[in-house]
Amino acid sequence: MGIITAFIDDRLKKYDPIWMAEHGTGGQRTRYYDVTGVAKYREWRGVKDTLFDYLSWLSNVLAMGKMVASAPVSIMKGFWEYRWMGSFLGTFMFIDRLFEGYRDEELRVAHAQMHAIVNNLTGRIGYILSHDRRLGASKEKSEKLVPIDEVLPELFMTGFPDLFPVPLQTLPEFIICDVDQHIEPYYIDIAESFGLPADVCSRCAAETGVALDDAFPLVGKALITTNMPCNASEATSMFQRRRVGLPDYQATLAMIHNDDELALPFSREIMKETIAFVEEHYDTKFNWDAFFKAAKRINEQNNFELEKWDYMKTGYTAEVGIAETLYKLYEWQSVNGADPYFNKVDRKVMKRLRKCYEKKYQPFGGRTRHRAFLWGPSAVYYTDFPTWAQNCWGIAIVLNMDSTMGFNMVDTEDPERAIDDLTRLTQKATMRHMAVGGWDNVNAVWEWAHNFNCDMVLMNDNIACKGMLGVHSIMEEQARELGFHFIFIEHDLEDSRTVSRQNMRDCVNQYMSIVLNEEPLDPTIVNFDDSDAY
Amino acid sequence: MKIDLKALLNILLKIGLGLLIFFVVTFTIYMGNFENKLIYYVIRPFLNKHYDAQVRDRRIV
Amino acid sequence: MKDLKHLIYFENLLQDAQNELVTQAVEAGQHALGYNCYYMPEVLLNLDGCFSARLRAPRCTSPDIATYYMTGRTCPYVRSILERAIEGGYNYLSAVFGSESCAAMERMEEHLYLLHPIKHENFFVTIIDPPMRGDKTHLDYYKAQLQKHVLKPLHTVLGVDISDEAMRRAVDRFNELCDVITEIGEFRKLDNPPITGYEFHVIQLVSEVCPHELILPYLKETLEELRTREPEPKFPFRTRVVLAGSEVDDPDFTKLIETCGAMVVADRYCFGSLPSRERIEILPGESAFDAICRHYLHWNQCARFMDGMKIDQRHSELKRLVEEYKADGIIYENMKFCEFWSYEKVLASHIMTAENSIPCCTIEKEYALGSVGQLRTRFQAFVESLEIKKINEQEG
Repeated sequence: MGIITAFIDDRLKKYDPIWMAEHGTGGQRTRYYDVTGVAKYREWRGVKDTLFDYLSWLSNVLAMGKMVASAPVSIMKGFWEYRWMGSFLGTFMFIDRLFEGYRDEELRVAHAQMHAIVNNLTGRIGYILSHDRRLGASKEKSEKLVPIDEVLPELFMTGFPDLFPVPLQTLPEFIICDVDQHIEPYYIDIAESFGLPADVCSRCAAETGVALDDAFPLVGKALITTNMPCNASEATSMFQRRRVGLPDYQATLAMIHNDDELALPFSREIMKETIAFVEEHYDTKFNWDAFFKAAKRINEQNNFELEKWDYMKTGYTAEVGIAETLYKLYEWQSVNGADPYFNKVDRKVMKRLRKCYEKKYQPFGGRTRHRAFLWGPSAVYYTDFPTWAQNCWGIAIVLNMDSTMGFNMVDTEDPERAIDDLTRLTQKATMRHMAVGGWDNVNAVWEWAHNFNCDMVLMNDNIACKGMLGVHSIMEEQARELGFHFIFIEHDLEDSRTVSRQNMRDCVNQYMSIVLNEEPLDPTIVNFDDSDAY
Repeated sequence: MKIDLKALLNILLKIGLGLLIFFVVTFTIYMGNFENKLIYYVIRPFLNKHYDAQVRDRRIV
Repeated sequence: MKDLKHLIYFENLLQDAQNELVTQAVEAGQHALGYNCYYMPEVLLNLDGCFSARLRAPRCTSPDIATYYMTGRTCPYVRSILERAIEGGYNYLSAVFGSESCAAMERMEEHLYLLHPIKHENFFVTIIDPPMRGDKTHLDYYKAQLQKHVLKPLHTVLGVDISDEAMRRAVDRFNELCDVITEIGEFRKLDNPPITGYEFHVIQLVSEVCPHELILPYLKETLEELRTREPEPKFPFRTRVVLAGSEVDDPDFTKLIETCGAMVVADRYCFGSLPSRERIEILPGESAFDAICRHYLHWNQCARFMDGMKIDQRHSELKRLVEEYKADGIIYENMKFCEFWSYEKVLASHIMTAENSIPCCTIEKEYALGSVGQLRTRFQAFVESLEIKKINEQEG
């Protein structure tokens, strides 16, 4: 068998974009129709990896089929009703983009984790749409769902096993912007047509647009909003609460939250009030046993995470780039202990990672030239940016800012200690623990980058993020002082029209070619037009 | 009970053939990126046309 | 109308952050304490031996160095403050009491301890995490923040007496100032007021940036003068508006609106008097500190409050001002790049117009008065629309 695959690999290697780039006959971009981002054919990765990628694709197709089968009428109605639902059709192209150039171990890890996301997300979409009053679900059925702000980690909701938390903005705004760069500008335009200035954070403008367009699923009987992560999200909640029209509670955890003396007691009180709010409006009681079970899962995940970090620090790991980022973001922020399948995947992945470390496995065939820490809120419309950075310039994104979200353990026996730990974990949610809430949070990047043996810091420069813009040059000066290569990647978070993907690539291209005088690994992806791509 | 080897072989052959056809069809779709081409060039424009024609309850409540 | 006796003096006091009264107080050994936001209770910075100075950066038209540090895409107010600090304009300050009222403001305040631009012996910066709701949980948090980040450093670093008695004295002095400003401001309710919005804006600003003790005699004298001041024979403006929104510390902005024919009868913006000049009432059995915290949380109208009660309050408060000050409409302004007011002006102008039938005009502005032509056109059009509305109403 080995001889046959070796023979085929040898005959077909000229179609492998990595081989093509190395031999000057083409590269990753060769197989694309220009502008559209549609590939003429899928990436040839060698027999084994192509078959593996094919099987992963097939299992994702089946997961989607399962979703449609779970609630065919609701799903079809959802596609017809919600513009954002239509964008989910771009998922296959999205996954292809994410894992371009992935081979061998990193491909297996990436797909195992991606499948967990697809599985969970498709299940979630099916469940939400089948409980959406707008699509015909009964009031009683819909009221089992609890709409909560997507930035509020859901661990506390595991104490209500009979209820189903719905991170309200995730489907119409966040995840779908990962998939389709053209969807959020539509909602942003709606918000701006009502007078919202174009200089506010585009993520929150998009959420506002979804609210104004009446495009949130109608679920639940009470809403939980939050002040996380930042000013614009606080402000957009004013619109959302009015449009959703349900009784609401604002989980306003301490913004400056590193101070255990003041912030913890306050935020703990907020957590307790949040739980009490759910109890009151959903006529139920918090179940500590169910919570502790989920907390054990979170603890296991966090333990794995800490172990993974040790491998990542060495470079002998198959957990790399966007695969790591996306999985962590979804597992932590959206699942947050609620789905045991993620722990199962984690265990499998950990076994693989341990082996990789033992055999000193280097991802991407050892083509990595720089180890970079990616800091600042990443462009949601260019999720595969880390993949491009690796394929084009050999810059491995070792860890992303969002992966440093709360990793403290949660007590699984004593409710009082558990609520403290839950509070600590919840306070350190996406973006808010790093980009806002005090200088120490943003300044932490240097220690992270140093500990992960990075020589480079890529700083996401969201042109509307006031928290990060406010420390722009201080960061640059520190990078110079500490000797890091430092690149600002300008972007507009969810509006690909303001700063295109190519504009983002140019930030890196210019630094790599002008400052470092390096040659790209794959010249076909230095400059290309993907403006019409999903 | 006597096992009818021929019938069994026949069934296995059919399953094998079915799997092979399934593999050939799906792998062709996969490798040729046909599902994405269908989505991008046919379904997406169709859905966008529909979405653009929607009358939505667009207002500040 | 006859010119106010001290108006030019007041205007001159606003030309520099360190004006002659500030210098006089500092030379007399008082600690000058800078702050930016209403979340920081002014009265606490006016305990014995110190005085508050709400930070402005007069005539700052090009904050180049601050823009280098914070980019040109952040609030021009905070950039201007940082610029002025770097220029050495706040070297008289013993401390800045900051507030994480918004990300940009916090970042600016962080620069004050990262770059050390303010050259004053033992200068320090503290930053509170202000509350986002108006309930008891948040009141307790507010108290704890103010205890730790204001009272404690005042006492331990500057040796200020923070006892209840000292606070009561500060409240009494503060109330005296508030009473004067409020009485001056109340003239704006008259059909033909003996004061313009511009003049009031100047008066309100000097009360915020000068040591209270030193400015108070001038304010009292101005109040006396206003009591007998003859207004114009006929109301000289075409219409009356409430100015609402984010930071406005440039009286020329008010002047611009008034030159377009709309008198600014009520000032509900950061640096305005509504709120900021309400009396602090200490209830029986209540400590002065508790009363101060309760007062500031109650009156605060910041757009960052998220709970329904406070959101409704800021809208009903606007409606009250429109009614009490007999305004014909509201001008909502927001400082460019201000996330909170960018959102609030969209929502609030909708609520005011659709639910309360109060016409609104929404604009975005720079810190230093710029784009005057565009703004003038907007204001003139708004004034005209208010006039047409009036004519239509009169004609039935």
